[in-house]
This record gives sequence, C-alpha cells and structure tokens, in this order.
Amino acid sequence: MALIEIQNLSVAYGTPSRPVLTDIDIRIEEGEFVCVLGQTGCGKSTLLKMILGAESPAGGRILIDGVEHKQPDRTRGYVPQKYSLFPDKTVLDNIAFGPEVSEFNMFTRFTPWFVRRRREIRNEAMRYIHRIGLHERDARKYPYQLSGGMQQRVALAQALATHPRILLMDEAFSALDPGTRKDMQRLIRQLWRDTGVTVLFVTHNTQEALYLGSRVIVLAKESSDAGAQVAMDLSVPEPCHEHQIPMLVHHLEHASGSARAPEVPVFATA
Amino acid sequence: MSISFQLVQAKPNRVTTIVFSWMLFAVGLGLYFYTSQKRHQDNPEDRIMPTVTQMFHGMSDASTKPAEDDDSTLPENASLRQRFFASMLWKDTLATSRRFIYSILLLIPAVLLGLHMGLFPYVGVFFLRFILFFDKIVALSLLPILFIVFGIDELSKIMLIVIGVTPTIILDTFNLTKGVPSEQVVKAFTLGAGDFDVAYRVVLRQIMPRVLNSIRLNLKAVMLFLFAGEMIASTDGLAYRIALLRRHMGMDVIIPYVLWVALLLFLVDLAMRLVNRKLHPWFQEA
Repeated sequence: MALIEIQNLSVAYGTPSRPVLTDIDIRIEEGEFVCVLGQTGCGKSTLLKMILGAESPAGGRILIDGVEHKQPDRTRGYVPQKYSLFPDKTVLDNIAFGPEVSEFNMFTRFTPWFVRRRREIRNEAMRYIHRIGLHERDARKYPYQLSGGMQQRVALAQALATHPRILLMDEAFSALDPGTRKDMQRLIRQLWRDTGVTVLFVTHNTQEALYLGSRVIVLAKESSDAGAQVAMDLSVPEPCHEHQIPMLVHHLEHASGSARAPEVPVFATA
Repeated sequence: MSISFQLVQAKPNRVTTIVFSWMLFAVGLGLYFYTSQKRHQDNPEDRIMPTVTQMFHGMSDASTKPAEDDDSTLPENASLRQRFFASMLWKDTLATSRRFIYSILLLIPAVLLGLHMGLFPYVGVFFLRFILFFDKIVALSLLPILFIVFGIDELSKIMLIVIGVTPTIILDTFNLTKGVPSEQVVKAFTLGAGDFDVAYRVVLRQIMPRVLNSIRLNLKAVMLFLFAGEMIASTDGLAYRIALLRRHMGMDVIIPYVLWVALLLFLVDLAMRLVNRKLHPWFQEA
C-alpha cells in the first residue's frame, strides 16, 4: 500500500465554482522525495493543503496509509513559505513545542513528569539546533532576530522534532536568496537521507525541483478555465547531474506551459 | 525657483522640537494666569479662575481633611499620614480606582470570548451577530434602565462600563484572532497540538500584546462610562466630587482634580505599556 494515495481528487473554489484541480491520481511510496512543479496559480499549493487536511476536496479522497484524515495532525509535518515559526517563542521553544504538546495536554503539564520529560525534550531540541547548523546562543533568540534562511532551518527542525512520516513543504525556500537557498537544499536532502521521511515539496522553480526530488510531478492546466491535471510524472535518477538539468528544465517548462505531455526523457516513468 | 521651504520633508532639530512641543502648554498656562490675575484685580472674590495659591490651598485641604459629607472624625493630634488616608482626595481616588479595577478585570472574559469566537466557528456564529447588534446600542442611553434594574449602587455603574466597553474589546479580539495567519494554526496541529493548545498556547499568546494595546486605547472609554455613572448616581468617587463641587463653583478643587485624573490615567497607560514590553519582548510594533 502506498503511503499517500490521492484518488480522483478534484477541487473547485468560489461561486460560480471554478475548477482548480481535476481528476488527480497520485500514489506516493514511503521514502520518496516528490517535487510538485507548476506555474503560479496552477493549484499546486491547493494540492498540498488537501494532503495536509487544512481544506477538504470537492470530490475524490486522499488516503494516508489507508486512512482519510479530515484535519491536520502529527502524521504530516508542515513547512510553509511564511509564518512558519511561532513569533512569541524562542528558537528552543519553537522546536520543543511539538514534542511538548503532543505528549502533554493542558492539565498534565502541571505534573512532575512534565518537568522531567521537558528537560529531555529540551536536550533533544538542542541537538536539532546543532544539526541544522545553528549555535547554542541562537537557542534563546526569537524568530524576528533570525535571517530568513535561519528561520526556515528552525522551521525544518521544528517539523522534524515530532518525527512525522510525511513532510509537506510549500515553497519553503522561495523567499530566500540564491546562496541561502542552495544551503537549504543541501540541508533538506541531507535530512531526507538521514531520517527517511517522505517529502512532498511544492515549488515553481524547475531547477530546484530537479535538484531535490527523486520524483517530479508537473501540474498544468489544459486551458485557463479548466482545472489542473498531472501533466508529467517522472522519476529523477540519482544523482541528478548538474549538466542534465538544463535539458530537463527545458522539457519540464514546456510541460507546465501546456497539459499536453511532450516527448518524455529517457528515464521518465509511465 | 531655488528657494524652497520643506514641509513634508522638514527635519526639525532637537531644540526646535522641544520648543515647539511645549509651546501650547506655555501659551495655555500663560493665558490662564494672565486672565486669572486680571479677573482678581477686578473682583478679588472671583471663583471662576482661581489663582495658583487658591488651588494649592484647595488641594491641601482636599488631601488632609475629610470631605464635608464624610461623618468619620479624626483625633485632634492625628499625623499627616492618618490625615491623608482619611482625606477627601484619597477616599475619592480609592472609590474610583476600585470601580476601575473591577471593570478592567471584567474585560478578561471579553478577551477570552473574542478569542473563542475568532477561533471556533460555532462559537463565532453563535455570538457574532448579537454582539455586532449590542455594539451599536449607545451605552449611556441604557443608564436609566440600568438604574431601574440594578439600583443605583455599584453594580449598575460597573454594568454600564461592561456594556459600553466589552463589545469593542470582544470584536477587537475577534478580529485580531482572525488576523493570525492560518499557517500558524495548521502548523500547530501538525505538531500534535489540540484545539485548546492552539487557542491558548499559539493564538492567544500571539495576539496578547495587541489585545493589551487595544485595552489601552479603550481606557478613555472605560473612564468615560465610569465618570458618567459616578456623576449621576454616586456618593463618592472623583467624578462625584467634581459634579458636587460644581454646585459651589469650587474651581479651586475641580481644576486640580481634573489634572489628577489625567495624571492617574497617564500612569495606568504607561504602566500597561511597560508591562506589555516586559512580557512580550518578541513583539514588533508593525
């Protein structure tokens, strides 16, 4: 059984309803790094929100490990582009927040077990801080004191601290400058290899999708008033050589321009 | 044209800023004392514009002697401290402060209601329409009804403040809650938070500095309703005294009282601002 199974998903917004996604069927296996690629407004973020459970579809369903989830929960970690950290909490508290709230509710927080367990959680959070390349002194900083790249590093650590099986990232690096972005891409690849988490990464940047993904799904619309469909679904060989990227970029950008799939590169899956 | 006088882009220096910002104070005080002196030359018995000496005497009486309608008696050899705590000024201030503190405490449920309305859709649809309606009622027009229903004691005065100010605070908190990016709520759920963790540990903590600022802005309204209640039906309090002294044209006490109220309100506002900054060091005024 696939970890994420999207069956016949369609989404429409507004009145009169305008289709955003139509008949999406995707199966994602455990451990894949899937990049969802498409132009602005093609519904790739909507797809991610559906998997997240933050919004519900008009038709079809999404199964996570065979079960339908109606609202966001611990099985799926989330790293959005903005507002990913809690502004009122320090870096350490941001990372420790997940383990704390998932183990203790409002009442059990006032027990001695909480005090003891919290120390462990904080040590664990400290290890994450080192792992994402921050210093010990950054632990007590508030998000506004960090650069955009640092904030997204912390957001990654925060999402991974609860050990989700799926990590959903929505244009997570799109607001960063090219240098920082490259570092972040290396970091997420590293974390993906180390933890074996299944990643779904939404981006509009073709190079990024090819560099990161073990699989790239292109969403595109047939016409401007139709919903987006899967225009292309290819697995990227590992490692994806830098010199192959320009050719692939050309193919993929052609694909995301129109839903008609072009001649598919040699290693594309059916 | 090379001659230009910048208006929008003007950059007043330190000295000009100080001079300009105190100018109106100086003009106001100057005019007052000039007119006051003029009037006292014409009529030494003038009560409309008391001199500084008269106001000083008025206030030193107010802060060392009990009010005329106060039956409590002090021993002849009472210390200055004892005299102060039995004085009209102290007792009035105490009475008004007590009502003020009750009213502020009653804003806490208002904040919590606004939070729940903004976060839980069912609570929102249940209350929103009614509170929007309630918000439009002119609270002072309810005053007679309140006096009839609750009597003219403390309860009706506090109810007036509650009715006048809580709808604003509820709606403000509601809007602030709605303004929290949805990413934050979704993120909290993905980290394993429950509904109430999201409400109290994510959303409330984030909006708290803005809520405090909103309460600070509404302090004026709280005082307005408090004074209206005290002036119409009360036997103590700062506004009661001001209204009472009007009958005797006791401007030598009324003017210092008005300034005293302004000072108290300024100090409350300052304290809230400092507490806000201390409690929420992460808050960036945007």
